[in-house]
Amino acid sequence: MTETTASRQILTPKRAEMLREYVPFIAIALVILMFWAISGDRFMSMRNWTFIAQQTPVLMLLAFAQLMVVTTGSIDISIGSSLAFSAFLGALGMLWFGDAGLILGVFAGGLVGMVNGLIISLLKIPSFVTTLAMLIIVRAVVIIVSDGTAIYITDGSVSGGTNISSVTAPWLLSMGKFPAIFIIAAIVAVLTWIFYEKTVFGQQLRAVGGNEKVLRLVGINVTTFKIKVFAAAGLMVGLAACVNLARAGAATPQAGLMIELDAIAAVALGGTPLTGGYGSVVKTIIGAFTLTIVRNGLTIAGVPPSWSQVALGVLLIAAIAISLNRSKVDVVK
Amino acid sequence: MNDQAVQPLLSVENVSKSFGGVQALRDGTFELHRGEVLAIVGSNGAGKSTLIKVVAGAHVPDGGRIVINGEEVPRAEHSVSHMQECGIEVVYQDLALVPNMTAPYNLFLGRIPRKLGIFVDERKMREKTREVLAQLNVTTVQDLSQPISSMSGGQQQSIAIGRAIAWGSDIVILDEPTAALGPNETAEVERLVEDVRERHGTSFILISHNLDQVRRLADRIVVTHHGVTSREFRRDEITSDRLVKAITLGE
Repeated sequence: MTETTASRQILTPKRAEMLREYVPFIAIALVILMFWAISGDRFMSMRNWTFIAQQTPVLMLLAFAQLMVVTTGSIDISIGSSLAFSAFLGALGMLWFGDAGLILGVFAGGLVGMVNGLIISLLKIPSFVTTLAMLIIVRAVVIIVSDGTAIYITDGSVSGGTNISSVTAPWLLSMGKFPAIFIIAAIVAVLTWIFYEKTVFGQQLRAVGGNEKVLRLVGINVTTFKIKVFAAAGLMVGLAACVNLARAGAATPQAGLMIELDAIAAVALGGTPLTGGYGSVVKTIIGAFTLTIVRNGLTIAGVPPSWSQVALGVLLIAAIAISLNRSKVDVVK
Repeated sequence: MNDQAVQPLLSVENVSKSFGGVQALRDGTFELHRGEVLAIVGSNGAGKSTLIKVVAGAHVPDGGRIVINGEEVPRAEHSVSHMQECGIEVVYQDLALVPNMTAPYNLFLGRIPRKLGIFVDERKMREKTREVLAQLNVTTVQDLSQPISSMSGGQQQSIAIGRAIAWGSDIVILDEPTAALGPNETAEVERLVEDVRERHGTSFILISHNLDQVRRLADRIVVTHHGVTSREFRRDEITSDRLVKAITLGE
């Protein structure tokens, strides 16, 4: 009796486990097929895919930053504000020091991340609360420092008025277009994969997410490690901010509003449990693309923006519901 | 009186430790000799785990001395890594392993070998893991790329003990090594302890609530009561009755 039922059961636990592994890949394939069926060539055109390839990199880099933090079991919701702050300082750096001043943007992100890490580790305030506070504070700082105005990156053909801050950097603007932006993103993705999969630091991210107390007992300094993790994630946000500056052509005080949620969603769509211990760079890339494609596809299909937000939310819950192995989850908080 | 002529491998003298206003350990005193299995028994809150955490370096004692191989451990250097250098390793009850990591990673916990400064030397880890598992006669662990949470409790405990002995430590502290295991797995772990002791001359400090196990494995038994190591028995002078009295009443 039991044998016949077992052989009839198509979805054995082992197969279900394997299927879960592939959920992000199946999801993106279904999403592409669905929009192709709905919108045909308007979706499946070279022009649209070039647009998607330009649109995804910033989100992807932010998702990498989030992935590092989430793997340790923490979360960083300050990255939207950190992106605006970093882009603004990158633009200011270019105003002050010329092209090389852009690097200031990367360090600004690192600084925000390090402050996050210091507060979390030394004051022992949970990462959700700390980074929520930083989300608010850093956004306010950007508005105060920028006085509500943007810094524009121009290609030199239009000269701005005297009261408008602008930097002439055509090279940066060309970096923000396909294929340059895509190549940069691909290089960062490969480096992130190596970092996450092959280095001692990357292994430690998972171990801290798995059981932090064990690491403390074997004499690993988890406190300094966490500060480093948030700082590293911050540097990645800073890099994303520079890419965003190139693509948007301006550092505005509103840059990156709500994008922290997209980054978290991309990580979750990539099958990474927010409880930590596991994660995948490749699937996070897939997650970032899935999110961008869905948003793009809904727009092309003529779905109003508010309704496409609803669809994205539903997709997120569906993807996690399918990929979650409930037998491994003891407590849902 | 014969064994007092030999210098003990580890000597813990009048060690005390408080947390806030609570004195968890008032007077911890015992000696451990080479190749010996010493059991520490006592009821919950009697100071056993504080005592072993002090010996492991995880807690710095408030008072008393710890002497390893005739050399006192200075208070300023009292740390997990210093105790590891002195050859002391601990297998904690629930906190021995990182469940989502592989057997090689767990074996190398805190000692991950590096290539070019930042990369994990995976080959070295796999080779050493195979070597350690072979030394322990553990043949059931085959797939080294699986997280250890997918292994049986006995296999996990073997890897935890393997980690403790893999680095040539002289003293291994086992904190309730079989509390979560079934009878077969308990026997497997006990065999492992006997085997390691015989072949490597490793000394063990065993914390256990299982008095039958204590009597099977231990050469000597120290009883803690209200934060004091109050009694000490040799294996041949012990009866369950006397042991239970000592644990509950401190007699």
